[in-house]
Order: sequence, then structure tokens, then C-alpha cells
Amino acid sequence: MASRKPPRSGVRAARASDGAPAAAPREAITVGSVGIRRHAPRLKVTLFTGVVLGLLALVGFAGWREASRGVPTASARPSLPAPRPAPSPAEEAYAHSLWPIHNEVKAAALKMTFGGLNYKLHEIDRAGFRDRVESARAVYRRAAARIELLAPPASLVGLHDEYVQAVRLYQEAAGEMVRVLDDGKEDHLATAFPKSQEAGTKLLRVGQVLWPGEYVPN
Amino acid sequence: MRYLVRGLTLVVLAALTVSLAVPTAPAQSSVPEYSVWLVRSSVFKGVPAGAFMPDRAFIPGSTNPMNSQVFFDLPVNVGVIKSPDGKEIILYDTGWKQQDYLKMTGSINWAPLPDQLALLGIKADDVTKIVIGHGHWDHAGQLSDFPNAVLYVQREELRGIEWALSYPFPAIKAVNTDKGGCNRTPACGYPPLTLDQIYGKVLAGKAMIVDGMMEVLPGVIIHPAHRAHTAGSQLLEVNTAVGKLVFGSDAYSSWEGIRDWMTANVQQTDTVQQFLAYEKCYKITGGYQNCVSAHEPLSYSDKYPLTKNWWVGPNDSRLAEIALAPGEKTRKP
Repeated sequence: MASRKPPRSGVRAARASDGAPAAAPREAITVGSVGIRRHAPRLKVTLFTGVVLGLLALVGFAGWREASRGVPTASARPSLPAPRPAPSPAEEAYAHSLWPIHNEVKAAALKMTFGGLNYKLHEIDRAGFRDRVESARAVYRRAAARIELLAPPASLVGLHDEYVQAVRLYQEAAGEMVRVLDDGKEDHLATAFPKSQEAGTKLLRVGQVLWPGEYVPN
Repeated sequence: MRYLVRGLTLVVLAALTVSLAVPTAPAQSSVPEYSVWLVRSSVFKGVPAGAFMPDRAFIPGSTNPMNSQVFFDLPVNVGVIKSPDGKEIILYDTGWKQQDYLKMTGSINWAPLPDQLALLGIKADDVTKIVIGHGHWDHAGQLSDFPNAVLYVQREELRGIEWALSYPFPAIKAVNTDKGGCNRTPACGYPPLTLDQIYGKVLAGKAMIVDGMMEVLPGVIIHPAHRAHTAGSQLLEVNTAVGKLVFGSDAYSSWEGIRDWMTANVQQTDTVQQFLAYEKCYKITGGYQNCVSAHEPLSYSDKYPLTKNWWVGPNDSRLAEIALAPGEKTRKP
């Protein structure tokens, strides 16, 4: 039998030597590229490994994202200003003693302001105006007397003086306001107003130190 | 002749039919469209979620996203409204400025409102009107910085405060029942210095005491929302190119609350009235998207779409451009 050249790439051996169709040798089967069958298992493994690695990378990334975001817990707090130093027992006692006086002064200041406001708006008459302002003056007098009896610690002397000045300013404002009843001139309300404002600023300043929780977000 | 008449009749009928069928062009709206910006005056840091919205209190271990947040950072939002001709500048709320309040409340990123307005090309003296949603200290605190502005406040707000102060029972008339906090008494939230801001406007003859509903300008309307947050809370409707907006101050403390029908920032609040205030926004604007919130934590982000067009201001504050009047240029850098 004559020797046969090995089949060219892409050419299947048509017949076996006895004429029957021959199964093409695996090595000989190509479809436009060389040796796919031989390399097919390796390619599948590579692809599979790549997919698995990709998924693992995705899971790892997701886990890192979760960890870096930080799950809120009961103990997690946003960054807030450093807490104030705790007051000394003497400072606490002073703040505790001044608090009820402060509440009365504050309420009186508000009522006095409403007296002026409602008088200006003609919502109340002269008698109603007098009642409001005079009752506020009485509160300021009593407060001034009680504050004089307080003994602030050395660290709070400045604050104490500021509070005393606030009450005095409120007294002066009230005194100016009632002059409206003497001459009927509403200008006295405008003259009294800056004293009331300054007193309110002092109350706030003292309150910020002694009672930091006095005003909350509204 | 007969055919002529028939022909003419047909033409007339056809013309009538067409004129009835074709819709006429809508009459040009005569209501002005205003420019609107939102300014973040400051931020309250670390407010417990449950203190802001009781239904969103943090629950350890809960899988409900509504209860997964421990704290909120709450902006203090101020509305800035400018008329198309530029002659009217209206502020809705004015934040506050005393640094002592900041120290008390752990606030950050406060900037003077006049400095923030300057970024919008507005001078403090240009402000013509201020509508305060209510009189709490963090909403009516910088009135004196705008000397030419007329203040609009509900009479019911003033009456409510005075009623509380004058009530005979001590626990009800107290401004503070506890030096550690406000405890939401009827008179809580009105320190003397803030009431003086309102009083100062009255003394200067620059206050309008409002009884209920009032048109401030064409397209700018006050709606009462009494007890939706305080005794005399009021909303402000504003017509813009993006539709009507409704500012709500603390009646609209949380925009998510309006969306999800949850109460927020309960102070002297009747929650039923707050829900009715929410409803008002839905009715006026057609939904919840255009309801402007005073303290929405999602403000100045895409999650609160109305405020998505934002930029950074002084001291890391925020400004957002919501709508522009015809011819108004953008202020966003």
C-alpha cells in the first residue's frame, strides 16, 4: 500500500485503507484554529478559575466596603465637641441655687416684653401694661435681694457679677417703660429696649456656662 | 344659488366645529415665578433619632431601616425668595446667631446669614420681608440683622406664648422645668433674647401681625398651620418655575416625615395638626416633593431632590438653588 501523506490541517482523512470511512484522528480535527480539542479542558479550567476569583474579589470588596462604612451601633457617636470639664461641687451648688431665681427672672423678662409688645400693638390698655411691667419689677427686686445672699465660688465670681448686672439692667428697663404711663410717650419703650436686650444676652452667657442644657434644638 | 347656500352653510359649520374642537392656548399665567434658594444656617450635631422623630428611635438589632439610625445631624434651613424684578427679598425663618446657643447645643458650621446671602448677590439691607414659621429661638434669631425687613408673625403665636407664661400651674408656665433641658413645656424655646428680636420689629413699626391666611405678594401666600408645631405656626406658599413650593419651618421638620406620614420634632405640637399641615403641602403642590423642610437630615443631597443643586458656603455651610425666576442668573459656582 502506498504511503500516505498525513492530512493537511482542516482536511479529514476520507477513507481508511480498506475504504471504510475512517474516524478522523483527534489531532487532525481543526476548525479554523489549531488544536482546540487538545486545549479545551485547560481553557475551561482557566475560565472557571477566573470566574471564581472574580466572585471572591467581589465578595471581598463588598466586605471591605461594609467594614469601612461602619455599622451604627448604640455606642457609635458622631464626632462632637470635647465634653466640658465637670463642675466642682461648689460650682454645682451655686448653679443649683441660682436656677430657681433664674427661672423667675426669665419668666418676668418675657412677661415684661409682652407688656411692651402688646401695648405697642394696642392689645392691652394702660392698666394692663402697668400690671405687667410692675409685676416684673417686683420679681427683679426679689431676685436681686436673693442673689445678694449667694456666695459664688471664686471661679464663678465673674459670672455672678454678670448675672447681677443682667437683673439690674432689667430693673432699669422696667423703670424706663413705666414712664410711658407718666407722659404717654411710647419712645420710652424704645429707650428701654437696648437694656432689655443686653440683659438677655447676659442671661444667655451665664446660662451657657451654668446650665448648658437650658436650650435644646427646637 | 341653492348650492351656494349649502356650500356656505357647510363652511360655517366646519369652522364652528374646528373652533370648538381645537383647544385654545392657555391664558398666560399672571402669577410671578420667584427665585428660591435654601441656606443652611448651621447644623445640630448628634440629635438622638427618637428625639427628632419618635417613630424612628434607634432599636438595637432591628432590621427595619427606619430604626437603624442612632443620631441625626439636623440642618437649620432658611428660605430665600426673590421676586422676578429683584425688588422683593423674602426670608422664611432666620436661624439664630448668638454663639452661646451654639455652645449649648453642640452646633457646627454656623455662618452669619448676611454673609451667606452675599453669595446670592443679596445685601442684608435688601431684605424686605421676613416670614417666621414660628418664634422658637433657632428660627427667629437674626431679625435685627435685617433692619429694612417687615416681620410677619401669627398673632396666635404671640398669644400662645403669653398664655403659657401666664398659666397658673407651675409645670405648665415654666420656661424650663429642668435645667438639663427644655422638656417641651408650652413656653419652651422662647428665651428672652429671641422674643426681643420680635419685639424689636414691633417697636420699629416693622411687624405685620397676621391673622390666619394672607397674601404677602402675588404668588407668595401665608397659610396658618396652628399647633402643627407651635400655637401659631405658619406655612409659606411660593410660586416658582418648578411648581409651587411650600415652606413649613418646623411643622415640616422632616421631609421624610412628610413623605412617610411620620410626626417630627414634637414641641408644642398637636400631631393631628401637623399631619393636616402635611396634607396642605400635598394639596397645594400635588405631592410631597416640593415641601421645604427646616431640619431634614437629607438636605443638600440627591436624596432630598429639591436641594440637590447645592454648593458649599462660608464655614462649610450649604446653599441650594431650587428655582430661578425668568432672567435670574444662577448663583451656583
